[in-house]
Amino acid sequence: MPPSDDGIQNIDRLIHEPSRLTIMMHLYVVESADFQFLQHQTGMTPGNLSSHLRKLEDAGYVEVTKEFMDRTPHTALKLTKKGREAFKQYRKSVKKIIDKLPE
Amino acid sequence: MTKQNTLREIEKKTYISYHQDGLIDIIVGLYALTFGLGIIVDQLLDFNFAVIMPGIIVVILLPLWLYAKRKITMPRIGYVNIGTKGSNKLFALFLGLAVAGLGVFFLFTMVTFESGRPEWIETILFQYGMIWIGLGAAVIGSMFAYTMGLKRLHGYGLLTLALFVVGYFLSFPFQYLLLLIGSIIIASGVALLIQFINRYPVQKGASENAAQ
Repeated sequence: MPPSDDGIQNIDRLIHEPSRLTIMMHLYVVESADFQFLQHQTGMTPGNLSSHLRKLEDAGYVEVTKEFMDRTPHTALKLTKKGREAFKQYRKSVKKIIDKLPE
Repeated sequence: MTKQNTLREIEKKTYISYHQDGLIDIIVGLYALTFGLGIIVDQLLDFNFAVIMPGIIVVILLPLWLYAKRKITMPRIGYVNIGTKGSNKLFALFLGLAVAGLGVFFLFTMVTFESGRPEWIETILFQYGMIWIGLGAAVIGSMFAYTMGLKRLHGYGLLTLALFVVGYFLSFPFQYLLLLIGSIIIASGVALLIQFINRYPVQKGASENAAQ
Protein backbone atom coordinates (compact mmCIF):
# COMPACT_ATOMS: atom_id res chain seq x y z
CA MET A 1 0.00 0.00 0.00
CA PRO A 2 1.60 3.33 -1.00
CA PRO A 3 1.94 5.89 1.77
CA SER A 4 -0.32 8.88 1.44
CA ASP A 5 0.07 11.76 3.84
CA ASP A 6 3.44 11.18 5.51
CA GLY A 7 5.43 13.35 3.12
CA ILE A 8 7.13 10.59 1.13
CA GLN A 9 5.29 11.67 -2.00
CA ASN A 10 6.79 15.13 -1.64
CA ILE A 11 10.39 13.93 -1.65
CA ASP A 12 12.42 15.25 -4.57
CA ARG A 13 12.94 12.11 -6.62
CA LEU A 14 15.65 13.70 -8.70
CA ILE A 15 17.81 14.10 -5.59
CA HIS A 16 16.63 10.87 -3.95
CA GLU A 17 18.44 8.68 -6.48
CA PRO A 18 21.59 7.45 -4.60
CA SER A 19 24.17 8.55 -7.18
CA ARG A 20 22.64 12.00 -7.57
CA LEU A 21 22.25 12.30 -3.80
CA THR A 22 25.99 11.54 -3.49
CA ILE A 23 26.79 14.25 -6.04
CA MET A 24 24.53 16.76 -4.30
CA MET A 25 26.06 15.99 -0.89
CA HIS A 26 29.60 16.41 -2.18
CA LEU A 27 28.80 19.68 -3.91
CA TYR A 28 26.79 20.93 -0.92
CA VAL A 29 29.83 20.99 1.39
CA VAL A 30 32.05 22.97 -1.01
CA GLU A 31 31.83 26.16 -3.00
CA SER A 32 32.74 24.41 -6.26
CA ALA A 33 34.69 21.41 -7.51
CA ASP A 34 35.75 20.13 -10.88
CA PHE A 35 34.65 16.96 -12.59
CA GLN A 36 37.82 15.09 -11.71
CA PHE A 37 37.60 15.90 -8.00
CA LEU A 38 33.95 14.90 -7.87
CA GLN A 39 34.69 11.65 -9.67
CA HIS A 40 37.54 10.97 -7.29
CA GLN A 41 35.39 11.66 -4.23
CA THR A 42 32.28 9.78 -5.34
CA GLY A 43 34.03 6.83 -6.97
CA MET A 44 31.69 7.00 -9.97
CA THR A 45 32.71 6.30 -13.56
CA PRO A 46 33.06 9.32 -15.88
CA GLY A 47 30.06 8.23 -17.96
CA ASN A 48 27.84 7.66 -14.95
CA LEU A 49 28.85 10.91 -13.30
CA SER A 50 28.38 12.82 -16.54
CA SER A 51 24.88 11.49 -17.11
CA HIS A 52 23.73 12.26 -13.55
CA LEU A 53 25.29 15.71 -13.71
CA ARG A 54 23.40 16.44 -16.90
CA LYS A 55 20.11 15.57 -15.17
CA LEU A 56 20.95 17.82 -12.25
CA GLU A 57 22.02 20.58 -14.62
CA ASP A 58 18.78 20.26 -16.61
CA ALA A 59 16.84 20.65 -13.35
CA GLY A 60 18.81 23.81 -12.59
CA TYR A 61 20.42 22.30 -9.48
CA VAL A 62 24.00 22.27 -10.77
CA GLU A 63 25.84 24.92 -12.70
CA VAL A 64 28.53 23.70 -15.11
CA THR A 65 31.13 26.26 -16.13
CA LYS A 66 33.83 25.60 -18.69
CA GLU A 67 36.99 27.61 -18.19
CA PHE A 68 40.73 27.47 -18.79
CA MET A 69 43.23 27.05 -15.97
CA ASP A 70 46.89 27.09 -16.99
CA ARG A 71 45.76 26.73 -20.63
CA THR A 72 43.96 23.49 -19.74
CA PRO A 73 40.19 23.15 -20.18
CA HIS A 74 38.57 22.85 -16.81
CA THR A 75 34.97 22.13 -15.84
CA ALA A 76 33.83 23.77 -12.63
CA LEU A 77 30.70 22.41 -10.97
CA LYS A 78 28.69 24.09 -8.27
CA LEU A 79 25.25 23.91 -6.76
CA THR A 80 23.00 26.72 -7.85
CA LYS A 81 20.89 28.60 -5.31
CA LYS A 82 17.94 26.51 -6.45
CA GLY A 83 20.02 23.35 -5.98
CA ARG A 84 21.04 24.31 -2.45
CA GLU A 85 17.47 25.13 -1.51
CA ALA A 86 16.24 21.87 -3.04
CA PHE A 87 18.83 19.90 -1.10
CA LYS A 88 17.95 21.68 2.16
CA GLN A 89 14.29 20.92 1.54
CA TYR A 90 15.13 17.30 0.74
CA ARG A 91 17.03 16.95 4.04
CA LYS A 92 14.12 18.45 5.95
CA SER A 93 11.60 16.15 4.29
CA VAL A 94 13.64 13.00 4.86
CA LYS A 95 14.31 13.95 8.48
CA LYS A 96 10.61 14.55 9.04
CA ILE A 97 9.71 11.15 7.65
CA ILE A 98 12.41 9.34 9.62
CA ASP A 99 11.43 11.15 12.84
CA LYS A 100 7.84 9.97 12.41
CA LEU A 101 8.89 6.33 12.35
CA PRO A 102 8.36 4.38 15.58
CA GLU A 103 11.48 3.34 17.54
CA MET B 1 26.87 4.02 0.53
CA THR B 2 25.45 7.50 0.63
CA LYS B 3 23.09 7.03 3.51
CA GLN B 4 25.90 6.13 5.90
CA ASN B 5 27.85 9.27 5.09
CA THR B 6 26.93 12.35 6.98
CA LEU B 7 27.59 15.76 5.47
CA ARG B 8 30.15 16.45 8.15
CA GLU B 9 32.06 13.31 7.25
CA ILE B 10 31.97 14.25 3.57
CA GLU B 11 33.25 17.71 4.42
CA LYS B 12 36.07 16.20 6.44
CA LYS B 13 36.87 13.71 3.67
CA THR B 14 37.04 16.56 1.17
CA TYR B 15 39.49 18.46 3.34
CA ILE B 16 41.63 15.39 3.95
CA SER B 17 41.68 14.50 0.23
CA TYR B 18 42.82 17.97 -0.63
CA HIS B 19 45.70 17.86 1.89
CA GLN B 20 46.80 14.24 1.49
CA ASP B 21 49.56 15.34 -0.89
CA GLY B 22 51.95 16.25 1.95
CA LEU B 23 52.54 19.74 0.55
CA ILE B 24 51.29 21.45 3.70
CA ASP B 25 53.73 19.32 5.73
CA ILE B 26 56.63 20.31 3.49
CA ILE B 27 55.72 23.98 3.85
CA VAL B 28 55.38 23.77 7.66
CA GLY B 29 58.68 21.86 7.82
CA LEU B 30 60.40 24.41 5.57
CA TYR B 31 59.07 27.17 7.84
CA ALA B 32 60.61 25.57 10.95
CA LEU B 33 63.83 24.75 9.10
CA THR B 34 64.30 28.23 7.66
CA PHE B 35 63.43 29.82 10.99
CA GLY B 36 66.11 27.72 12.69
CA LEU B 37 68.59 28.61 9.94
CA GLY B 38 67.65 32.28 10.38
CA ILE B 39 68.62 32.16 14.06
CA ILE B 40 71.93 30.50 13.20
CA VAL B 41 72.63 33.17 10.54
CA ASP B 42 71.73 35.77 13.20
CA GLN B 43 74.39 34.46 15.53
CA LEU B 44 77.01 34.13 12.80
CA LEU B 45 76.50 37.50 11.09
CA ASP B 46 75.13 39.48 14.03
CA PHE B 47 72.15 40.48 11.92
CA ASN B 48 68.54 40.43 13.10
CA PHE B 49 67.49 37.96 10.47
CA ALA B 50 65.20 35.87 12.70
CA VAL B 51 62.93 38.84 13.38
CA ILE B 52 62.06 39.44 9.71
CA MET B 53 62.35 35.78 8.76
CA PRO B 54 58.73 34.71 9.48
CA GLY B 55 57.38 37.45 7.21
CA ILE B 56 59.81 36.65 4.39
CA ILE B 57 59.02 32.97 4.65
CA VAL B 58 55.26 33.58 4.41
CA VAL B 59 55.74 35.78 1.34
CA ILE B 60 57.85 33.10 -0.36
CA LEU B 61 56.27 29.88 0.92
CA LEU B 62 52.61 30.72 0.44
CA PRO B 63 52.87 31.33 -3.35
CA LEU B 64 55.13 28.28 -3.57
CA TRP B 65 52.48 26.14 -1.89
CA LEU B 66 49.74 27.45 -4.21
CA TYR B 67 51.95 26.83 -7.25
CA ALA B 68 52.71 23.26 -6.14
CA LYS B 69 49.00 22.65 -5.51
CA ARG B 70 48.22 23.73 -9.07
CA LYS B 71 51.04 21.72 -10.64
CA ILE B 72 51.01 18.55 -8.52
CA THR B 73 47.67 18.10 -6.75
CA MET B 74 45.13 19.46 -9.22
CA PRO B 75 46.19 17.38 -12.25
CA ARG B 76 45.87 14.26 -10.09
CA ILE B 77 42.74 14.61 -7.98
CA GLY B 78 41.15 17.69 -9.49
CA TYR B 79 40.28 21.05 -8.09
CA VAL B 80 38.02 21.97 -5.22
CA ASN B 81 37.15 25.32 -3.78
CA ILE B 82 36.36 24.56 -0.15
CA GLY B 83 34.57 27.89 0.02
CA THR B 84 33.71 30.34 2.72
CA LYS B 85 32.74 27.82 5.39
CA GLY B 86 36.14 26.15 5.40
CA SER B 87 37.95 29.48 5.00
CA ASN B 88 35.94 31.03 7.83
CA LYS B 89 36.96 28.28 10.23
CA LEU B 90 40.63 28.71 9.36
CA PHE B 91 40.35 32.51 9.48
CA ALA B 92 38.73 32.28 12.92
CA LEU B 93 41.58 30.04 14.06
CA PHE B 94 44.25 32.43 12.72
CA LEU B 95 42.45 35.36 14.33
CA GLY B 96 42.17 33.50 17.64
CA LEU B 97 45.85 32.62 17.53
CA ALA B 98 46.80 36.21 16.67
CA VAL B 99 44.76 37.53 19.62
CA ALA B 100 46.18 34.86 21.94
CA GLY B 101 49.70 35.65 20.67
CA LEU B 102 49.21 39.35 21.34
CA GLY B 103 47.86 38.54 24.82
CA VAL B 104 50.87 36.36 25.62
CA PHE B 105 53.23 39.03 24.23
CA PHE B 106 51.49 41.72 26.35
CA LEU B 107 51.69 39.60 29.51
CA PHE B 108 55.28 38.67 28.75
CA THR B 109 56.25 42.33 28.26
CA MET B 110 54.46 43.38 31.44
CA VAL B 111 56.11 40.67 33.50
CA THR B 112 59.54 41.26 31.95
CA PHE B 113 59.64 45.00 32.49
CA GLU B 114 57.86 45.18 35.80
CA SER B 115 60.29 45.89 38.57
CA GLY B 116 60.14 43.78 41.68
CA ARG B 117 58.45 40.88 39.94
CA PRO B 118 58.38 37.65 41.95
CA GLU B 119 61.29 35.35 41.21
CA TRP B 120 59.07 32.35 40.55
CA ILE B 121 57.50 34.10 37.53
CA GLU B 122 60.94 34.60 36.04
CA THR B 123 61.81 30.98 36.72
CA ILE B 124 58.63 29.68 35.13
CA LEU B 125 58.87 31.96 32.10
CA PHE B 126 62.53 31.90 31.25
CA GLN B 127 63.91 28.74 32.73
CA TYR B 128 61.20 26.59 31.17
CA GLY B 129 60.91 28.71 28.01
CA MET B 130 61.56 25.79 25.67
CA ILE B 131 58.88 23.68 27.31
CA TRP B 132 56.40 26.55 26.95
CA ILE B 133 57.23 26.84 23.25
CA GLY B 134 56.82 23.08 22.86
CA LEU B 135 53.47 23.23 24.65
CA GLY B 136 52.42 26.12 22.41
CA ALA B 137 53.36 24.11 19.31
CA ALA B 138 51.38 21.10 20.57
CA VAL B 139 48.29 23.22 21.27
CA ILE B 140 48.52 25.07 17.92
CA GLY B 141 49.13 21.77 16.09
CA SER B 142 46.07 20.24 17.74
CA MET B 143 43.91 23.25 16.88
CA PHE B 144 44.91 23.06 13.21
CA ALA B 145 44.51 19.27 13.25
CA TYR B 146 40.97 19.66 14.57
CA THR B 147 40.02 22.50 12.21
CA MET B 148 41.50 20.88 9.10
CA GLY B 149 40.70 17.28 10.01
CA LEU B 150 44.38 16.34 9.58
CA LYS B 151 45.31 14.01 12.44
CA ARG B 152 49.01 14.04 11.59
CA LEU B 153 49.23 17.68 12.73
CA HIS B 154 48.53 16.42 16.29
CA GLY B 155 51.59 14.23 15.81
CA TYR B 156 53.79 17.12 14.69
CA GLY B 157 52.67 19.19 17.70
CA LEU B 158 53.37 16.33 20.10
CA LEU B 159 56.72 15.63 18.43
CA THR B 160 57.69 19.28 18.88
CA LEU B 161 56.68 19.15 22.54
CA ALA B 162 58.59 15.92 23.12
CA LEU B 163 61.75 17.19 21.39
CA PHE B 164 61.63 20.51 23.22
CA VAL B 165 61.21 18.80 26.59
CA VAL B 166 64.10 16.43 25.82
CA GLY B 167 66.09 19.37 24.38
CA TYR B 168 65.50 21.32 27.59
CA PHE B 169 66.84 18.57 29.82
CA LEU B 170 69.80 17.88 27.49
CA SER B 171 70.47 21.62 27.02
CA PHE B 172 70.17 21.24 23.25
CA PRO B 173 70.15 24.63 21.46
CA PHE B 174 66.72 25.87 20.35
CA GLN B 175 67.74 26.59 16.73
CA TYR B 176 69.10 23.07 16.20
CA LEU B 177 65.88 21.63 17.56
CA LEU B 178 64.01 23.71 14.98
CA LEU B 179 66.26 22.28 12.25
CA LEU B 180 65.58 18.77 13.51
CA ILE B 181 61.81 19.24 13.73
CA GLY B 182 61.69 20.96 10.33
CA SER B 183 63.67 18.13 8.73
CA ILE B 184 61.43 15.44 10.25
CA ILE B 185 58.24 17.20 9.08
CA ILE B 186 59.69 17.76 5.58
CA ALA B 187 60.70 14.09 5.38
CA SER B 188 57.18 13.07 6.39
CA GLY B 189 55.72 15.46 3.80
CA VAL B 190 57.99 14.14 1.05
CA ALA B 191 57.01 10.56 1.92
CA LEU B 192 53.32 11.55 1.69
CA LEU B 193 53.95 13.35 -1.60
CA ILE B 194 55.67 10.31 -3.14
CA GLN B 195 52.82 8.11 -1.94
CA PHE B 196 50.29 10.57 -3.38
CA ILE B 197 52.05 10.79 -6.77
CA ASN B 198 52.22 7.00 -7.03
CA ARG B 199 48.61 6.53 -5.97
CA TYR B 200 47.19 9.17 -8.28
CA PRO B 201 48.86 9.34 -11.68
CA VAL B 202 48.08 12.38 -13.82
CA GLN B 203 44.81 11.91 -15.71
CA LYS B 204 44.94 14.00 -18.80
CA GLY B 205 41.66 15.68 -19.73
CA ALA B 206 39.77 14.20 -16.78
CA SER B 207 38.39 17.59 -15.84
CA GLU B 208 36.90 18.11 -19.29
CA ASN B 209 34.43 15.21 -19.16
CA ALA B 210 31.54 16.86 -17.42
CA ALA B 211 28.20 17.01 -19.14
CA GLN B 212 29.69 16.77 -22.60
